[in-house]
Amino acid sequence: MFVRSLLRISLLVCLAAVLLNGAVAQETLTVLCTPQEDWCVAQTQAFQEATGIQTSYVRLSSGEALARIRASAENPEFSVWWGGPADAFIAANEEGLLEDYDSEAAEAIPDTYKDLDANWVGVYVGALGFCSNVDVLEELGVEAPTSWEDLLAPELKGFVAMAHPATSGTAFTAFWTIVTLEADKLEAEEEGTGYDEEGSPTEAAVDNAFEYYAALHQNILQYTRSGSAPGSLAGQGEIAVAIIFSHDCVKLQQEGYEGILTTTFPEEGTGYEIGGMGIIKGAPELEAAKVWFDWALSKEAQEIGPTVNSLQLPTNPDAEVSPLAVKLGDILVVDYNFQAAGAHRIEITERFDAEIAPAPTE
Amino acid sequence: MQNVRARPSVGAQFRRILQDPILAVALVGSVIFVGLTIILPLLAMIGESVSTEGAVKFRDYLGSPVYQTIISNTLVMGVVVGAVGTLVGFLFAFVQVKLDVPFKRFMHVMALLPVISPPFAVATATIVLFGRSGMISRGIFGVRYDIYGLDGLTLALALSLFTVAYLNLKGMMEALDPALDEASANLGAGKLRTFFRVTLPMLIPGIASSFLLIFVESIADLGNPLVLGGNYEVLATRIYVSVIGLYDTTAAAVLSVILLVPSLTVFMVQRYWVSRASVVSVTGKPAGRPDTIKFAPVRWGLFGVVMFLCLLILLIYGTIFHGAFVNVPGVRNDFTLSHFDFVLNGIGAEAIQDTTLLSIVATPLAGLIGMVVAFLVVRKEFLGRQALDFGVMLGIAVPGTIIGIGYVLSFNGPITATLPILGEITLIPKLTGGQGLLGGALAIIIVYVIRSTPAALRTGAAALSQIDPAIEEASISLGADNARTFRRITLPLIRPAFLAGLIFAFARSMTTISAVVFLTTPQTKIMTQGILNEVENGRYGNAFAYCVILIGIVMVAIGIMYALVGSRTGAERRIEGGGQ
Repeated sequence: MFVRSLLRISLLVCLAAVLLNGAVAQETLTVLCTPQEDWCVAQTQAFQEATGIQTSYVRLSSGEALARIRASAENPEFSVWWGGPADAFIAANEEGLLEDYDSEAAEAIPDTYKDLDANWVGVYVGALGFCSNVDVLEELGVEAPTSWEDLLAPELKGFVAMAHPATSGTAFTAFWTIVTLEADKLEAEEEGTGYDEEGSPTEAAVDNAFEYYAALHQNILQYTRSGSAPGSLAGQGEIAVAIIFSHDCVKLQQEGYEGILTTTFPEEGTGYEIGGMGIIKGAPELEAAKVWFDWALSKEAQEIGPTVNSLQLPTNPDAEVSPLAVKLGDILVVDYNFQAAGAHRIEITERFDAEIAPAPTE
Repeated sequence: MQNVRARPSVGAQFRRILQDPILAVALVGSVIFVGLTIILPLLAMIGESVSTEGAVKFRDYLGSPVYQTIISNTLVMGVVVGAVGTLVGFLFAFVQVKLDVPFKRFMHVMALLPVISPPFAVATATIVLFGRSGMISRGIFGVRYDIYGLDGLTLALALSLFTVAYLNLKGMMEALDPALDEASANLGAGKLRTFFRVTLPMLIPGIASSFLLIFVESIADLGNPLVLGGNYEVLATRIYVSVIGLYDTTAAAVLSVILLVPSLTVFMVQRYWVSRASVVSVTGKPAGRPDTIKFAPVRWGLFGVVMFLCLLILLIYGTIFHGAFVNVPGVRNDFTLSHFDFVLNGIGAEAIQDTTLLSIVATPLAGLIGMVVAFLVVRKEFLGRQALDFGVMLGIAVPGTIIGIGYVLSFNGPITATLPILGEITLIPKLTGGQGLLGGALAIIIVYVIRSTPAALRTGAAALSQIDPAIEEASISLGADNARTFRRITLPLIRPAFLAGLIFAFARSMTTISAVVFLTTPQTKIMTQGILNEVENGRYGNAFAYCVILIGIVMVAIGIMYALVGSRTGAERRIEGGGQ
């Protein structure tokens, strides 16, 4: 009968429910993970082995992560958020989305890499760079870019890629780097025009940065969702230059694109990220999240990255630095104001999404 | 329906249905199903878009030249893909029915292959083959072809969607009575004249309906524009970024309504054409085998074109398979199993398990609901019969991203009602998000069901209208009730349609992305989401490994369904035996 098949189906549904919720009894942790997927795997597996806490993760780029945390603030799905530029953590904390946790383990981390008042601690550091495909560059007859202006060369039309600042922290870091450079320029012309009294870049600087990205838009092939994705596009020869974190470019070189990709840095100065970490407000697994928080600051945890070619610099001074890593001391970095970046983040990404990304190119 | 006997009035039939408890349950159940799973989310989405905030956004978007371009991009893509896809489907069908050439079986399989293709697979393989450093464009012809934009989208979408046109037109061409061609020839018309004056006009409803279906599917597609769009922005990707990047559900709802207008309009026009088609083309069984075309240039010319397309499809799927086993597809082609290791030992294992399990739960539900609604719609007369049919069909007519947003808006919290004595009770618990029922899995199952039911309904309705109701009436006269008749007589007779519905439902569930992309949760991981992550990060090898596993699961499942449902039942043997 009909009824019988309905019965059979409901039995199936129940079976599915049991299977899906099978692993409830154990202590668990759900990590919102922003770095590259393989690092997320390695990090959560190592944590699970070290503590016995059943750990799962979801990888979302930092803009997506922020949007998702905001959307589920009443009923958080994740307990701890690990990785991705600190600006996103600052933006989250401004909205009261991060839990207060004064971790003793954070004492090991230098003050420049943390802000416990803002509820985040840095777990790694890395600089932005240009990741170029040498063959494509040669064909187009251009040198690997060494300044932000170089990216506007007409030869590169359709041969540059970056991520969308709304979804990617990498792309937002790139945007804020230009804001900082424009503020410096304005400040050099006339004091007080680039930065306001609190040291945060002025509206004029932000407008100038939008002008730069409107010009760059003409050369952009497409805005990817995740920050490191343009690097693969460059490796495959689909574009010439990717604006990504330099450690992601080194990672690609280690994983099959050796001799194909080259990393360069803008001479005006480049931006950098402090990869943040914070506990989500109302975390369903608060205790486990704290265990993760402390563990992720340890020497052992910070040495996992290089095993999967994630060559960011550790924030724990005791952790060993891979010889392949790009050291901040070797390049010119801008004076990146993370606090101001975090405060402007939402307004800028919405404006970028409305004004720049959908605009047609000539 | 070929039944011309006098029927009782609609009202009387309606009362009769309600008197039969099982029929009443089926009818009321179907209506509630459509109302809760399709209409409610749609209304929630439309409600959000006409809120004060939404109304402002409507004006902004429709007034902005940037968004006007995006809207026109979307429509142009739909028209171009619709035209190319229909043409490809027509060519495949024509060669299959009207030409006597070798490799027809192979061509048929190639035409069906896209049904089980995961999203992103074709688009990604297209980049590996024809991108700026493509193995063919760059490797063989030495050009840096810019595939990103309308041209790449047309190639990938037309090759992914033409199957519907092929099946549609093949069926119509086979049903055309060859006597008409003969009559035309006897009256002195040449082959060409007969084709343009007799054959083609009769196929026009099928051509139009195929074009419109492909149009609707292509403007709803999310995967291809994400990968191949370049700076060719379309509405579906804008909706996606609004939700994923900004979590601006109002903006997403407004854009969804803008996308919904052409989708639904075209869908309704398509329904009209289909109703025309059944009048024009179904002339009963053909009187003989259709005459094949002997004229060599036409015969071998068309054969060449279709063979070329088949090889292109084979090449694309070959690239997917090859790419899953090499280090960096198209760049470093040395053999490796590391992609499978990544997928099977990383996040993928869980996604494979979850997706397969959810699809297994959704498939029989979709098949059964489809058949029940088909039975009600074809065999029974009642008020709102057309509305029920239309409601179920909305599950596929509405772009997936819109369904997803509708679900997020409707089911993100429990739906409660306050009753006089019981106080506040929960009618529907929270379904979406990590804290939703069954870790959000139920919402995904429901979406799978509503996305697959329309196909089951259409195949079921088509099969039912070919079966004389007298057989069922005989069963009832002999004392069986409606449910028993449905189970013992109707279901066995429409078994091939049921099987087709099941296969389609499973394949659709396993490969769907746009409708579930906003519904995956930490607890419930979906393979297509995994593929999206890998493609988005440019790790094509991992994405291809996922695709190969997904295609494998679908193939195995099809085999199992054939074994389970495909065995012949007693009723059918007897009927067939009696008919001969």
